[in-house]
Amino acid sequence: MPYIFIAPNLLLFSLFMLFPLCYAMFISLHDWDLVGDTSFAGLANYSRLVTDPLFWTALRQTLLYAGGAVPASLALGMLAAVGLNQRMPGRIFMRSIFFMPVVVSGVATAVIASWLFNDNYGVINALLERAGLSRVNWLSSPSWALPSLIITTLWLRVGFCMIIYLAALQSIPRTYYEAARIDGASALQQFIHITWPLLRPATFLLLIINVIYSFHVFDLVFVMTGGGPGFSTTVLVQYIFNLAFASSEMGYASAMGIALYALILAFTVLQWLAGRRSEVAMGGG
Amino acid sequence: MSKSRISAGPQAFAKGTGRRDLLKYTLAAGAAGIGARSARAQAPVSLTMAIWGDRTSEIAHRNVIAKYQQQKPNVDIKLEVTPFGQFYQQIDTRLAGRQAPDMFRIQYQQVGRYANGRTVVDLSPYLPADYGSAFMPAMWQAVNYAGKAFAMPYHTDTIALFYNVPLFEKLGIVAPTSLDKSWTWAEYTDIARRIKKDGGLPYATAMIWQTSNAYRWLPFLYQHGGRVLEDDFKTPLIGSRLGIETIAWTQSFFKEGLSPASTSIKSNEQPQNLFANGTLGMYLGGDWHMSFLRDNMTTPWNVTYMPRDVAMASDMGGNCIAVSRDCKVPEVAADFLKFLASEQSMRDFARDGALLPIRTSLAHENLQYSYRPDAMKVFIEQATTIPENLARTVGLPIWSRINQRLADQLDLAFTSDQSAETTARNIDAAIRVITGA
Repeated sequence: MPYIFIAPNLLLFSLFMLFPLCYAMFISLHDWDLVGDTSFAGLANYSRLVTDPLFWTALRQTLLYAGGAVPASLALGMLAAVGLNQRMPGRIFMRSIFFMPVVVSGVATAVIASWLFNDNYGVINALLERAGLSRVNWLSSPSWALPSLIITTLWLRVGFCMIIYLAALQSIPRTYYEAARIDGASALQQFIHITWPLLRPATFLLLIINVIYSFHVFDLVFVMTGGGPGFSTTVLVQYIFNLAFASSEMGYASAMGIALYALILAFTVLQWLAGRRSEVAMGGG
Repeated sequence: MSKSRISAGPQAFAKGTGRRDLLKYTLAAGAAGIGARSARAQAPVSLTMAIWGDRTSEIAHRNVIAKYQQQKPNVDIKLEVTPFGQFYQQIDTRLAGRQAPDMFRIQYQQVGRYANGRTVVDLSPYLPADYGSAFMPAMWQAVNYAGKAFAMPYHTDTIALFYNVPLFEKLGIVAPTSLDKSWTWAEYTDIARRIKKDGGLPYATAMIWQTSNAYRWLPFLYQHGGRVLEDDFKTPLIGSRLGIETIAWTQSFFKEGLSPASTSIKSNEQPQNLFANGTLGMYLGGDWHMSFLRDNMTTPWNVTYMPRDVAMASDMGGNCIAVSRDCKVPEVAADFLKFLASEQSMRDFARDGALLPIRTSLAHENLQYSYRPDAMKVFIEQATTIPENLARTVGLPIWSRINQRLADQLDLAFTSDQSAETTARNIDAAIRVITGA
């Protein structure tokens, strides 16, 4: 009986996730330009991966992007959640404002952001000039392009983190705070000793989700910078896309996709093990 | 992704004829032996044709289809219009899934890739022996692969220099009025410096090679006497003195701040926007930009020729139409393509779409363009400077891979101060890996 209930989901999962994954593994062992015939390449695409300096550059840029975007999304999301969990006028409106970018398509956000950050006629540079500061080549300078992407990501992701944290905050019993106040704990002490530990499961969930999002980021990069200037914003998925659809190297692109899959899987397993260990420690077991 | 389907012909055929019916009819005709081909040509046939393009281009295609249909009322051709950004991904995916449209538009640079994979049909059996002699040699060369025509050329585009008329008048700059008087590299650089210094503009000029259209850098290489590959079309030549000097010259516009960094090769910035809003005093753009400037630029503008060095050269733009391997009636598709490339159709299509014809007989004809015929004349003349070797190079099946490496390295030179020597060396190394030289 339970198999009947999970059958539709399993069928769709197999069709749209498992089959493409297995097929990508198959393609990664071949040379294929998408429109022509395939030829068996063995593990050549994987050995090329190890020696391809661009793969390592893309991996480094992906890690830099994740290192910038993930902690900042979590921190700002938590800050917004704690702030908007207080009783204040316009609270629901403000929550909506923060959450709105989450429901807008990534491409639309990226188009808006690329206009805001435009070197020549963007609003941000116009405001900087009005404030007496010099213009910044946000999207065409190798030093500023990645930070611009991270800032846009924050705009996109903070609302999502805020909602998860808000839900977690509202599930903390008020009695804990009342007891702490009776014991004379300050607001900061309440946050450190009650809020922060009890938000740990939500933080763990958001960490996993945001890291996976960061490793998958493509739409923002594709629209805003195209991976440039140089390779300063060439993240893994952007590189995979270029290999597959600009250079027509589908086999190598698939091998890189599988490598990315293994990387995210390894990270998730490690995080899951770490999370389980800390839960066990908290539970005293 | 937006996609519209526009039926150009009588709906009766579109609704009444499915591929299965067509196949049945085809089999029946095949069984009849001699005369099958002609019988099939008269049976109701439904074809699909995928293109990209703006509204003007779409109308031009629709007009040709309608005229063909007056002659062949049994053939219904449905037009599928897809944005350029997603066009090749969609075509490639459909080809891989064996569900490609019967005909699709491609750039000349892509012919080799599709022909090499045999995903498009060899049109030679449907064409007379000397058919190609009526076309500009570079275009006919571009659609040929291994001595066979794998697509039908039907128009070209090219690049010339747009300039801001009041600005040039203010600075006393007189633009060349004939091809043989086009500016040299030194003159062009000097004018760019004057525009920035005396024109009060933040930048002087830009080139439309964005979104990784690195092949548009090649005209400069050819103007300087250089080439991408040796005669074997394998050994790279960018690392030669001519290649390094060309990289250094194009890089100098970014180094001197004459071109905005945002107009480098991987950027998404559109120079026509910067020209229209007065950020640039001139820019090297395509004839297809004219309708944009008509609608968005209030300041008067004009067009002159590309700069030249030891030689003249311009970009080989434009497109052809290929018949996909999934087409069940290639002879009917080929018949339509012959009609599309006929002298009368090409004349009408070029005029309706504000594009350049590629039949030699039309090269010097006054096509009576409705908008800025004076500017179109410059583009038509400029199109005669497209080097045949360039056409052959960008038509190689491996060109898309070379183009990507070219984009990567030139972008590093333009935005990250990578030296011209290192850039040339890296490009050559990448080409060697691709060609196996």
